[in-house]
Amino acid sequence: MNSPSPLDPSLPEPLARREFLRQLALAGVATLSMGAPRLLADKTSAAPAATADACILIWLAGGMAAPETFDPKRYAPYEKGMSYERLLSTFPAIPTSVDGVRICEGLEEIAQVMDRGTLIRSAVQPDLGSILHSRHQFHWHTGYVPPQTVACPHLGAWMARVLGPRNPVMPAFINIGQRLEGVGESEELKAFTTAGFLGGEFGPMNLPFPEEAAAAVRPPKGMDANRFVNRDREFRRLVDAGPDRALLGDHQQQSMLRSMDNAYRLLSAKERASFDISLETKEVQQAYDTGRFGRGCLLARRLVENGARFVEVTTEYVPFFQWDTHGKGHETVAKLHAEIDRPIARLIRDLEERGLLDRTLVIIASEFSRDAMIEGRPGSAAKDQSFNKAGVMTNPDHYGLHRHFTGGTSVVMFGGGVRKGHVHGATADERPLVAIKDPVTISDMHATIFRAMGISPKTAFDVEGRPFYATEDGKGVPIPIFRG
Amino acid sequence: MSRLLLIAGLAVWPAFGDAADFAHEVVPILRKHCADCHTGDKKKGGFSMNTRATFLEGGENGAVLVPRAAARSRLLEHVTTTDPDLRMPPKGPRLSPAEVGVLRAWVDEGVAWADGFAFQQPAYEAPLRPRRLELPAAKAGREHPLDRVLDAWVAAKGVPTPVPAADSAFLRRAHLDVIGLLPTAEEAAAFAADKRTDKRARLVRALLDRDVDYADHWMVFWNDLLRNDYAGTGYIDGGRKQISDWLYISLLTNKPYDQFARELVAPSADSEGFAKGIVWRGAVSAGQVPELQYSQSVSQTFLGINMKCASCHDSFVDRWKLRDAYGLAAIYAERPMELVRCDIPTGKPAAAAWPYPELGQVDGAKPRPERLAQLAALVTHPENGRFQRTIVNRLWQRLMGRGIVHPTDAMDTPPWNQDLLDVLANRLVEAKYDLKAVMEFIATSEAYQARAEILARDADDKAYVYRGPRAKRLTAEQFVDAVWRLTGTTPARIELKVPRVAPAAAGVRKPIVEPLLAAAIWSGDVAGGRVPAAGEARSFRRQLTLAADVETAVCVVTCDNGFELYINGKRVGEGDDWTEPKSFDLGPVLLKGVNQIVVVGRNAGQGPNPAALFLQADVGLKGGARVRLATDASWEWSASLPNARGAFVAAKGKAKDAGPVWAPVALVRGEAWRRAESRMAEMRAGVAGLSSMPARAGLTRSDLLQRALGRPNREQIVSARPNELSTLEAIDLANGQALAGLLTAGAARIKQRAWATPEAMVHWLYLSALSREPSAAERSVAVGLLGADCSEQSIADLLWAVCMLPEFQTIR
Repeated sequence: MNSPSPLDPSLPEPLARREFLRQLALAGVATLSMGAPRLLADKTSAAPAATADACILIWLAGGMAAPETFDPKRYAPYEKGMSYERLLSTFPAIPTSVDGVRICEGLEEIAQVMDRGTLIRSAVQPDLGSILHSRHQFHWHTGYVPPQTVACPHLGAWMARVLGPRNPVMPAFINIGQRLEGVGESEELKAFTTAGFLGGEFGPMNLPFPEEAAAAVRPPKGMDANRFVNRDREFRRLVDAGPDRALLGDHQQQSMLRSMDNAYRLLSAKERASFDISLETKEVQQAYDTGRFGRGCLLARRLVENGARFVEVTTEYVPFFQWDTHGKGHETVAKLHAEIDRPIARLIRDLEERGLLDRTLVIIASEFSRDAMIEGRPGSAAKDQSFNKAGVMTNPDHYGLHRHFTGGTSVVMFGGGVRKGHVHGATADERPLVAIKDPVTISDMHATIFRAMGISPKTAFDVEGRPFYATEDGKGVPIPIFRG
Repeated sequence: MSRLLLIAGLAVWPAFGDAADFAHEVVPILRKHCADCHTGDKKKGGFSMNTRATFLEGGENGAVLVPRAAARSRLLEHVTTTDPDLRMPPKGPRLSPAEVGVLRAWVDEGVAWADGFAFQQPAYEAPLRPRRLELPAAKAGREHPLDRVLDAWVAAKGVPTPVPAADSAFLRRAHLDVIGLLPTAEEAAAFAADKRTDKRARLVRALLDRDVDYADHWMVFWNDLLRNDYAGTGYIDGGRKQISDWLYISLLTNKPYDQFARELVAPSADSEGFAKGIVWRGAVSAGQVPELQYSQSVSQTFLGINMKCASCHDSFVDRWKLRDAYGLAAIYAERPMELVRCDIPTGKPAAAAWPYPELGQVDGAKPRPERLAQLAALVTHPENGRFQRTIVNRLWQRLMGRGIVHPTDAMDTPPWNQDLLDVLANRLVEAKYDLKAVMEFIATSEAYQARAEILARDADDKAYVYRGPRAKRLTAEQFVDAVWRLTGTTPARIELKVPRVAPAAAGVRKPIVEPLLAAAIWSGDVAGGRVPAAGEARSFRRQLTLAADVETAVCVVTCDNGFELYINGKRVGEGDDWTEPKSFDLGPVLLKGVNQIVVVGRNAGQGPNPAALFLQADVGLKGGARVRLATDASWEWSASLPNARGAFVAAKGKAKDAGPVWAPVALVRGEAWRRAESRMAEMRAGVAGLSSMPARAGLTRSDLLQRALGRPNREQIVSARPNELSTLEAIDLANGQALAGLLTAGAARIKQRAWATPEAMVHWLYLSALSREPSAAERSVAVGLLGADCSEQSIADLLWAVCMLPEFQTIR
């Protein structure tokens, strides 16, 4: 799986020249890209031994309320006129495959695989004043609080840059399920969905619609495979026919041709099929297909099987949709449970069945939690963003956790060397539901993820003369959730 | 180390008694325990041990040692304390008692130092003031000041003098560098045919004079550098303000750069978007409040200073300190500011100050408008060579592919050729800060006109060696413009409301939109229902009498299928794609009095088919009068054709009165021309005829294709785009629908044109895309790709293959 793959035999054989260029490409694209920031060798502490080769980040964008998912608190069913003060969780707790660990009703499938992973209940975020989703998402994805004076790389770009692709044919960083055009705050989303200063080579391949992913690696619409390959072959012949022979040895020209070659390599390799979820059996497709997110999980599994390094799959951030529940919280989260429960559990089981789970770190996370009463952190001056401002509930639409809460958030990690059936940290059982044991900051969370992937948080690049670290200023300590 | 040994070898310090031996005892201890954080470019806590002066200066928390008083010196306290927060070094083994003893003795002895010794040579100190210099003698008749400096440099280094570039390479480079557009096939052919010895200099001037094209192109560079965009973070909620209009007009009118900078540093309502920066919703770190953004932007853009580190703490990598960053911020601030170090308030107030007090200082007691005006005056002070060098270095980088100081935002870095930088800076001042004059100065040098360097793989591993201009990758905007033009898919209008008009008319915000007056005409002999024959050519004429001198004159023309336009015996231009009307600036050719307008219209196709000519000119006269000329029934036609100068000369042996016979034209109609007509109307409205491109990618909002090709999100200052094509970009080029769609549409359009042979199409494509003719080998591959039937598919594939050539994607 980790070796370069032969080209698709159904396509005409490419030129021998390409073979030569492939060797060059394997020599490492990073070292050849001039003008890219320099890795500060002396700033790089010894990298920890990796416990995972691949990483899937399941991003429940919009603010997943921990008390409605992985950290149930006292359940209070809806009653007309009930006070918000009574409301901690709108779902009762259910047992899981781990003794004594309970999660929320609606996540029955995930409950059965909780013994494969570690549940972190004490993640905390800063209160950035106005609790703006895209800013917290920027922070979670880059490790740096926006705004920053340099373009910060996404977590996936760090892995792509430091670790490179697992399979040279496959893009190292793939981002599934998030539209970046035509949705609210899209410019803000783009600001962190990027390799930033690391350079475009390490940026995300964006696949907003899993069912259309196959088209992203197919010839353009209306062009058959033969024409596609022929076009490239004629292109190569035109390059070779160029009158300036000296240019053939020019580094910049070679570098461009190498990128063209990398692109064509993916577009004609057998790994191309991993982008096509319709190749799965009906049973498997149905098992995952709770919607775009479920199909995204299936796509993520196929991509990781074929050598993707980092895959993010999201329920998608669109202001006031999905997990961004400012009203009708209970009803919405019940639907969201149904959207995520089956595909996530199936993804874990599938990876396990294929022997991939041990070396694949799967993370379920969100930018912050939610609460029925508190906006931001206890004592925050942030503006209350709940649709309903009354003290009591007069309408079932008011029943839910409608405020952004940054004091205690759940993150689940499966596989990739983390302990099984383990719980790290805890939140209070009465409001404020803040982390009361082993709080985990974003720097710690990133140090933990990087630790699993074998990257030192102190890995640094020289950007405009300053060292820029994988975690903020190289800080963050991995939390003790690793086996052995 | 070698330097230390050298000095030690001279044995300058006597080592007697208990006195510490600086070279042999003190230096090794400091190197062993302290050097990692406090020497060279490292200044943890703002403290550098580099030289005796920096040692005595101390760090952020004040003095580190008191000469002759070790007991009162923090240095000794830090190396001996058991307090984990104070101990030095913070990690690793402590100093041995013997080592502490040496340091104590050294301090008590008065901190002896070796003259000239530094742990690392102090960083290069960039000169501030302008510098006069004597030019080296010209070699081999190469008199241009830049060549005199460079020829002396290459001679001294033993590097070969770069050889001149071919005309075709120069033509393409100059077009893309100055106006961002590929030369058209016609421009390429005309330049190749031009035999004048000064044609390169003429071309540079002519390109710089294409004011609209120039402004369109340079918007991209300045938008990047000034963080201006047409959409994005902050624009919706009022946290950010565009300066597009101000910027466009500044470029269009070639505003002197000192004035340009003053209007950004001390802004008016039109230009304040730069100073205001981006106001993010919610809380931001102390180093990113708008006042500090101002400090960072002004220093980076105009002075090549990086204040980003110093916005949070004293920089570890250069000499800028927290108080310097806050000094600039306080000039802009409307509230008292306090120094905040890494988000922790220090209690110290920020004092308005700019970083070069030797040129004067801002009076913090004055109200803000005065402070800003003072700062603007200091930034653009005639003695502020830093300001001059920063911009000429940026222009050199844009034109030559690599800065004299590299990177261009780090002007504290030594230039590879100080004289070169200073010759350029002095030229800027002599030209009264005229940026076009500096570009002309560079572009008319032999250096600019030399062959681009062939880049070795390790070219940047060692110190830079000048071997001629470096190739630059097309920006996303240049690439898209080039594809639009090749494929004839340029959108009909720009989204941005900037005045793409003659500079003199820039004050008039919106060009007047009026219906098209031009009617379709053809020779009167079609009135009886005759359909024009394929290949039929007709002359059309009209006199235009102007009562005053011309101020602005633009004209839009199209003809099904092609035309040549002559005015007063000069060939003004031509077009052979009737779906793409052409526009011309007639300012230089129209005169007060009687003007002769002649157009040759040519029909094409396989058999008889409709033909028509459309022309409309809008002329503004001195004094304000406007004159319009449009094709209508008052025009005349003739079957005789003019010579190359548009004149009708009687054939030899014929009587003088046997000249052309002129008769009234016929008005014709055709649905097929609707699109061309509406296009002409749009061109008049949008472009006012001053550019051959109705829209430019750089004037549109970013889209998937441009983003894929590296158009940045402009939340941070970007002064140079990546030169490399990434794999993900290549995937987009290989199978992205946006590019595929443009190529498919272009292929259909190209297919429609009348090509004598497939070779002719290949010839046109190479001339249009690469500004040169194809080699025999290329022609053979390309014609083979087109196949016998030249299908639209094969044309699209050839277009793609040519656009993917590194030669196409780079400016060499």
